[in-house]
Amino acid sequence: MASPLPQVLLDGLFAGGTYALMAAGMALILGVVKVINLSHGAFFTLGAYVAYALAGRGVGTPFAAAPLAAVIGFAFGVFLGKSFVNPVRSHPFALPVGTLACALLFEQAAQMVWGPHPLSVAAGAPWIGPGGLVIRRWGVIAFLSSAALLGGLKWVLSSRPGLPLRLIAEDEEIAGSLGMDVEAIRYLTFGGACAMAAAAGALLSPSGAVTPTMGRAPLLLSLVVVIVAGMDSVAAIFLLSIGLGIFGNACAWFLSPQWSYVALLATVCLLLSARPAGIVALAGRRD
Amino acid sequence: MSAEGITKSFGATKVLSGIALSVAPGEPVGLFGPNGSGKTTLVNILSGLLLPDAGTVRFDGKEITRLPLDARYRLGIARTFQIPHPYPALSVREAVRVALVPRLATRAVNAGKRKDGGGTREDEEGPTEDLLARTGLFNQRFVPCAQLSQGCLRRLEFARALACRPKLLILDEVLSALSAADEGDLMELLRAANRDEGTAFLLVSHNPPLLKSLCRRILVLEEGRIVRERTV
Amino acid sequence: MVSLRGGTPPARSPWRGGGWLATGIGLLLLFPLSSPDAFFLDVFTTGFLLAAFAASWDVVGGVSGQITLGHALPFGAAAYSCALLTSFAGWPLPLAVAAAVLLAAVVGAGIGALSAPLAGPFVALLTLALGEIAHEVAVGHTFFSGPGGYAWGGEGGIPVALPWRDASPFSSYYAALVFLCLATFGMLLFARSNSGLILRAVAGSPITAQASGVPIARFKRLAFTVGSAFAGAAGAGFVLHVGRATATDLSLELSFQAATFAAVGGRGTIVGPAVAAIVLHVLFQGLSLPPSARVLLYALTLLVTLRFFPRGIAT
Repeated sequence: MASPLPQVLLDGLFAGGTYALMAAGMALILGVVKVINLSHGAFFTLGAYVAYALAGRGVGTPFAAAPLAAVIGFAFGVFLGKSFVNPVRSHPFALPVGTLACALLFEQAAQMVWGPHPLSVAAGAPWIGPGGLVIRRWGVIAFLSSAALLGGLKWVLSSRPGLPLRLIAEDEEIAGSLGMDVEAIRYLTFGGACAMAAAAGALLSPSGAVTPTMGRAPLLLSLVVVIVAGMDSVAAIFLLSIGLGIFGNACAWFLSPQWSYVALLATVCLLLSARPAGIVALAGRRD
Repeated sequence: MSAEGITKSFGATKVLSGIALSVAPGEPVGLFGPNGSGKTTLVNILSGLLLPDAGTVRFDGKEITRLPLDARYRLGIARTFQIPHPYPALSVREAVRVALVPRLATRAVNAGKRKDGGGTREDEEGPTEDLLARTGLFNQRFVPCAQLSQGCLRRLEFARALACRPKLLILDEVLSALSAADEGDLMELLRAANRDEGTAFLLVSHNPPLLKSLCRRILVLEEGRIVRERTV
Repeated sequence: MVSLRGGTPPARSPWRGGGWLATGIGLLLLFPLSSPDAFFLDVFTTGFLLAAFAASWDVVGGVSGQITLGHALPFGAAAYSCALLTSFAGWPLPLAVAAAVLLAAVVGAGIGALSAPLAGPFVALLTLALGEIAHEVAVGHTFFSGPGGYAWGGEGGIPVALPWRDASPFSSYYAALVFLCLATFGMLLFARSNSGLILRAVAGSPITAQASGVPIARFKRLAFTVGSAFAGAAGAGFVLHVGRATATDLSLELSFQAATFAAVGGRGTIVGPAVAAIVLHVLFQGLSLPPSARVLLYALTLLVTLRFFPRGIAT
């Protein structure tokens, strides 16, 4: 009987690579808007439910659902950024609690609309690789889409269109005095990052049960990645997300899904207690 | 206080190289240096806000290099900030009281030992009002700190620093950019503290006449080294 | 520079708010005499306990400025220890309650020790994670038993062995009200003391407080310990009233409610969050809305309050 390890690794690779999209979004929000967005997981969940709704209407694959999810995520994200995040940014109490409120609001709304029970999105027939390895088609698509999008993001950030973002992340006053509409760039970036989270949710929707609270673990994962890998390197974010995806999948497989969630929570606590340079840098930027 | 071999770099930039200085009890010392010479970094190291890469700081014969800001305050080393960060929600009186709490606690204990029923309000208010009067803030004592002018904020810094009856005051550009009246008042306050209570101080400034009129010895800091020492 | 206005105490007398408060307490004392439904008495009783919980959040998050999103942890820890000690260890109730409050204080000290080096949003993140870990452990179906089995009392929670058969709604109501008044009074004393002043200083400008000789970490731990002790007392009271300790006593939704009460009532006032808790809880629960609708309304209330009344509706 073949060891399940290669399967766990492969599935973790696919999941982690897609979570990288979310983590990159979190990094963008942290760097440009300079807030911790606790509603990021809710956008992931939103994407998954969009995929579910589309599947219910018979619209093909999660891959087709992802762009729609991204658009909806962008719209909500811009709305949230413009109406709440931007005005309240300077109050240290309001941001974490407010974004958490958004997350809870969405969780409850999703529960009221679709019910608390786990739903599933059709996966389609997988390919079978060597040694009976199940290569899930949606997994490959999700991984490649994520890698492509992240590659595009890296290109944008290091070239002229990305200049405003880097400038605002470094020094807002200079950006403002150069005539950039800092407010607009902020809520547009926020919307874009939420769109990325929603796309990730749609792409990964066949991976398991779609529930209202499914976004909590990906949220923590994004935070861990950003805290450890920092906000500067897209490649570092991608690699670390893959690592965490594999780790989380291994926990879920060999122990149980609850253990995977608890392991993530414990990682967050350990990181914050050990205070790696990432947090010092993040805290320093606040001043 | 004495310091030896203080070295500090931020990344590739070496800000301080092998600084050595000393302040005798009750001695008024000035530190002069242009912008970028490392004055604030040195002050931060001496007051406990930063750790040096190398070197030691001693006070009253004990080594305190790794002691944090609040522990040094309790030892009698007080500092002021060039840019004060006032408490947004507290009044002037309350801000001074925060610094006085340990002293008040001792007074309450002593008062309780008297057979008259324990600490009265007078015991609590007395030292606070003394300090407020000395620094000219008595009439502002109910004003929220956030609404104070720059001159009053500096006075508040003084009140806060003097609350522990410090043996050494480290003052970072506390007299710069003030009105003539404020500057005069604070200079007199500093002289009085030095004269009447034997408080030594290390005054950091880029204003030579000021240093000459207040200090007995002036150190000159240039590009991370003490290059000259003059006795006034 | 010399102005008489700065030399006089603020015009608002501290007792003006006290007048409203006394009136409110009086009304609450008289309320049961109008023979309301047992349901409403129960709603108010739970409201009083939640108000004590909200006030205890304010000690940590309002007075001391440490935003905790895991305040349900000491609350639920006290609830569970009360239940476990009485049901499984057979302890007498007063001893179990005392031990529960003590445990909550110790838990608070631990949380404080971990979060003292952190700033602002990271404290929120850490406390959220700690609370969620505790919640998962309590829910943990497959942690301590096989799949499909229930652990830790499962859905029904762990019962508390109560020495009384059926408490009358009236005595529960008054007991909770008295508890709320005593607890709030205690917390107010703490907030108005020198320790409370120092905590407010640490919240306002940590660097200035440090330069005034305040050991920041020690006082942050103190804030968490005191706040968690009162939260534990509220949790013990809650579990005595309800009769069972369930996983929702450790939930993120409960921690979030505490933050909402404080945001609406005015952070730092201790009394404000308590009043907001009673008003909001009685309103939402009294309308017999389903639980998910209630959480949704709490979230909406918080968002609207933060957006348009950043300092709280009461102030």
